[in-house]
Amino acid sequence: MTRQHTPQETKTALHEVVVEMYDRIVKGEPPTMTLPVRTKNNIAFNERLGVYKYGKSTSVRDATSLQSAKQLLRALHVVEFIEGMIDTGKSSTLREMYYISEGWGHGKFGSQNESNNLAEDLEVVTKCLREDFKLRPEEDGARIIGNITLQERNRRGEWMRINARDDVGDSGYGVPYNVEEEKIELLEHDIDFIMAVETGGMFDRLIENGFDEAYRCALVHLKGQPARSTRRIMKRMSEEWDLPVVVFADGDPWSFRIHASIAYGAIKTAHISEYLATPTATYLGITADDIEAYDLPSDELSKKDIEALQAELTDPRFADGWWQEQIRMMLELGKKAEQQSLAKYGLDFVTDTYLPEKLSELGLA
Amino acid sequence: MAEPRDIASKLADNQKQASISEFFEKNKHFLGFDSLHRSLITAVKEAVDNALDACEEARILPDIRVEIRKVDVKRDVLELEVEDNGPGIPRDNVAKVFGQLLFGSRFHAIRQSRGQQGIGITGVVMYSQLTTGRPTRVRSKIAAETTAVEMLLGLDTKANKAVKSDEQRVPWVLEDGTEKLSGLKVTCRMKAKYQRGKQSVWQYLRMTSIVNPHASITFVDPDGEEEHWPRVTERLPRKVSSIKPHPHGIELGQLHRMAMSSRAANISIFLKTEFSGVPTRAIKEMCEVAGLVDNNGRPLSLKPAKMDPDQIRALAETFQGMRGYLRPFRLDHRGTRIYVADARRPGLPGQPISENKHGDLVTALTNAGLDELPSIVASRTELHWEESLHRLVAHVSNAHGEGPWNAKDADLISKHIRKEWEPGVVFEPVRLLKPPVDCLSPIEEMLIKKGLSKTIDSRFVATLTRVPAVSQGNPFQIEVGLIFGEGMPADSPVEVLRFANRVPLMYQQGGCMLTKAIESVDWRQYGLDQSGGSGVPKGPAAILVHLASTNVQFTSEAKEAVADNEEVHDEARKAMLELGRGLRKHLEKRKKLEKTKEKFELITDILPAIAEKSAAILDRPVPSLAGSITKIMNAVIVEESTTWNKEAKRTEVRLTLGNYTAKSRAFTMLATWPEREGAVMVENESGGTSELTGVWAWKLDTLKPGETATVTYALDGLEKGDWTETDVFYRGAGDVIGATKMDDELLKELRRQEEVLADDGEEEDMDEEPSDLDEAEDMDEEASDFDEAEELDEEPSDLDEDEPQQDDVRDLDSAPTAPRPSGGGSLFDYDMGGHA
Repeated sequence: MTRQHTPQETKTALHEVVVEMYDRIVKGEPPTMTLPVRTKNNIAFNERLGVYKYGKSTSVRDATSLQSAKQLLRALHVVEFIEGMIDTGKSSTLREMYYISEGWGHGKFGSQNESNNLAEDLEVVTKCLREDFKLRPEEDGARIIGNITLQERNRRGEWMRINARDDVGDSGYGVPYNVEEEKIELLEHDIDFIMAVETGGMFDRLIENGFDEAYRCALVHLKGQPARSTRRIMKRMSEEWDLPVVVFADGDPWSFRIHASIAYGAIKTAHISEYLATPTATYLGITADDIEAYDLPSDELSKKDIEALQAELTDPRFADGWWQEQIRMMLELGKKAEQQSLAKYGLDFVTDTYLPEKLSELGLA
Repeated sequence: MAEPRDIASKLADNQKQASISEFFEKNKHFLGFDSLHRSLITAVKEAVDNALDACEEARILPDIRVEIRKVDVKRDVLELEVEDNGPGIPRDNVAKVFGQLLFGSRFHAIRQSRGQQGIGITGVVMYSQLTTGRPTRVRSKIAAETTAVEMLLGLDTKANKAVKSDEQRVPWVLEDGTEKLSGLKVTCRMKAKYQRGKQSVWQYLRMTSIVNPHASITFVDPDGEEEHWPRVTERLPRKVSSIKPHPHGIELGQLHRMAMSSRAANISIFLKTEFSGVPTRAIKEMCEVAGLVDNNGRPLSLKPAKMDPDQIRALAETFQGMRGYLRPFRLDHRGTRIYVADARRPGLPGQPISENKHGDLVTALTNAGLDELPSIVASRTELHWEESLHRLVAHVSNAHGEGPWNAKDADLISKHIRKEWEPGVVFEPVRLLKPPVDCLSPIEEMLIKKGLSKTIDSRFVATLTRVPAVSQGNPFQIEVGLIFGEGMPADSPVEVLRFANRVPLMYQQGGCMLTKAIESVDWRQYGLDQSGGSGVPKGPAAILVHLASTNVQFTSEAKEAVADNEEVHDEARKAMLELGRGLRKHLEKRKKLEKTKEKFELITDILPAIAEKSAAILDRPVPSLAGSITKIMNAVIVEESTTWNKEAKRTEVRLTLGNYTAKSRAFTMLATWPEREGAVMVENESGGTSELTGVWAWKLDTLKPGETATVTYALDGLEKGDWTETDVFYRGAGDVIGATKMDDELLKELRRQEEVLADDGEEEDMDEEPSDLDEAEDMDEEASDFDEAEELDEEPSDLDEDEPQQDDVRDLDSAPTAPRPSGGGSLFDYDMGGHA
């Protein structure tokens, strides 16, 4: 189980990366950095953890080409930078690190993407978390509305008790980037399940219709592909309170991936899947058969959509029969539908008819 | 198709002088005065071409200043002023040069000259007068006089002569207070429009400056903006000699004119002295073939002007290869033709007996017998020979008996004669020599390079001057240049710069044979984009084509597009292919060097940083990099740098060979240098030896792993931009990045090139040989225009070697087409092209 590391553990893990390079030079060889292959071909289901993790394939980045040599040098600068932050008790965003790299000479990043990837590389290699590195993501977490109570430690270091229904406005409780126990404690709740909602429009519709109270649930706005902290807090709520999670998203290939990242882990973060994924999460809709069953207004699948669906057919996370069926059905239909297309039958249709019907299939309504 | 000479004759024949301005008016489209915009370009062109030609003939480095001023914007009136530092025109000739149509040497001499176009500066005077009613102001100073003469010139179109007014003598003082030695300044006002862009005065001058690297050109546009194209070489174009016309390029009309104006005592002398490529042997032959012989078979002692029209036509046909000799042959057992020595007679090419003679032949044969057969056949065809007639008689006798034959037999015999009978005769035109090619003045590779480099800033420039060749009696030579690199748009068609005899061609690009030659090359294999592998390629490049010829054939009178001609096209295409190969080599080399550069950055910057940083983080000593470096590079690398040292006015070369492998290596390093172009190698402390002309070799000490050796030297006697890239070769085991392995084959190729170049040298020596001066007389009498100005300057002799006339007979020996690998064959095998 991944957990947070002490500063010393983090440093030791980072040093191993440096030692690999140093030792190779001493041996008269080009320095290297060994890391797992991060593609869908190298993720496998971990029975014990119930999530997808990286397999055994590793790739070696060695300094025989200018580009990979520069990557190694950058990694060293990042290690040094992280150590500095650990020692001085500071933290920085990934973007700040990107700008700080301006002063790293040949080790300077070419783009923000490079610095993000390198931070992930180091996480993967050291098995530490971004939080251990004192690096924050740029994106903020999601919003939550529902009758749950938690406490969050504010900037002054005091605990603040917050009820995500009574103490918040219409925008709900904003999830901070760090949702670990040192920052957030889950106190109590009076709900039956957690519903993750892909789009802001639908999230607001459900709130306006009072769905969270009528159906005793917490609504989590995913904002598209959910941030790490969003996935992490859903996992904590699900595990600590033993609540089921359902995912309500658009009916298209990208929504399937959003669900997969919540339930089984994302390919990019497979090294910390067990820390982020909620294996019990269920995909509520919109499914491919919903498009037919509810006769929803739909769009043609684009070329990219079709490619994405075809890639999903060989993605181990979608290997189960139900998903294969859904994906094939969508390919056959050649159509996709948005959550908000349910408005075809009126603004209340989603809360009065669609969701109750879907939830009852799962025994939640 | 009207050539200058045709226009000339048109005009000369036209005795109604009053119609000269009418003629101008009618033909202004092909004289280049069809639009307000074009008229301005044409006027600049006429003036600048004259200036360049005059300077060239007087061996003066031209300084030309062109200024266009606004006069009346509403009515499109501009003032054009062109000033040069040429020899000037003597006072008495000014009016003739500017005021009389077709006054000039260029209509009489055959040599490569710019002014083959239009009707010259007189057209500008006329156009100005017609559009603004104003005379042209001319100021001229010759070196022999202390003051300049200035006058206004108008045209009396009825009398075809200039009207002078306001003549005065003025001192010509320059801005710096000194007096101008010689020169010409022309100022005229005309209805015209100034425009910018691809077809503009600016572009014309820019292109002119590219192909005239010896000229300094300044241009001030109507907005007062000044552009200056500096002189990049002090070398004037080679002095070209005029040549006499070669019979292959002569048509009936021209021959007629030449005969009428010839003062030769007889036809033999006419052929010998007024044409090139006609050896003594050919004179007799031509007379015989053309029927210009007396009863004894000797050339007629007839003055050329006394030839009757039929005789002139026969001679013209002989020139064109339409008349020649019939030569008998028999076939040996292998079917090879064995020619009967000395047995030949004048004749015409053609079918043995044409189809339409069938009826005639049948009629003649019906009721005739074997005895009559030879005379019947002989009277109806030129193409027979004694021996073949015997064969015919034998065949007919076997098949049809002795006769008399009935109509059916006659029909069969006639068919046999037309289809099966082998008359055993071939037709051969009179063989001539190639015309001499020293009448051409190529710009030459190095100078094109400089010209291109000065107007286009780029990385790669390749130029090529082909060996002169001949098409239809006209010597021609193709030169090409290609410039490639940043600073030019990458996704639009390359700029095509076309020139004929150093004159920019700015219109009708698509219809021009020179463009077609570019389009015929699949540029994709050489690194340029080209949709479908044809058409003008795309890429950051410009392609230059220059056709130098004594007779450039254009598609129309506008003289903006070169007409199709297979031989010229082939030459141009071959030249393009060679440029393409150079470009590909350059691009490949660049790619390799980029990779090498990356590796160097890796080992010199990144790797040490990795070592230092990792050591610092771990708090350990910085490890040695030697092992890692050899593992990463695992190569021997040459770094070449050729740079221009501004202060020392020298080209400095630095070659570094580094052994980044795990083994010791020993090499000999070789480098190219422009020895032939007159460079001198200095400060070469590493010594070495000359491998062959233009290639130097250094034997280097054995390099241990990680060691480098450096060779430095400098080149004197070059100008900036002359030498920008040194090719490096090596001898030794394994690969060397940045250098080419010198093996036997490569060495052989280089030696071959050396020999070819050596031949060039000899050939140039030939040019200097004094020639038969007697023959220069005729030409000089007619020489006028700027020629005359020059003669006045150098009074004493008009028979010096400035006008070398090649002695035709000597041509045989001095061989202007010296043996070259590509040439092949002796002079007697001069190909008759399409005439055979």
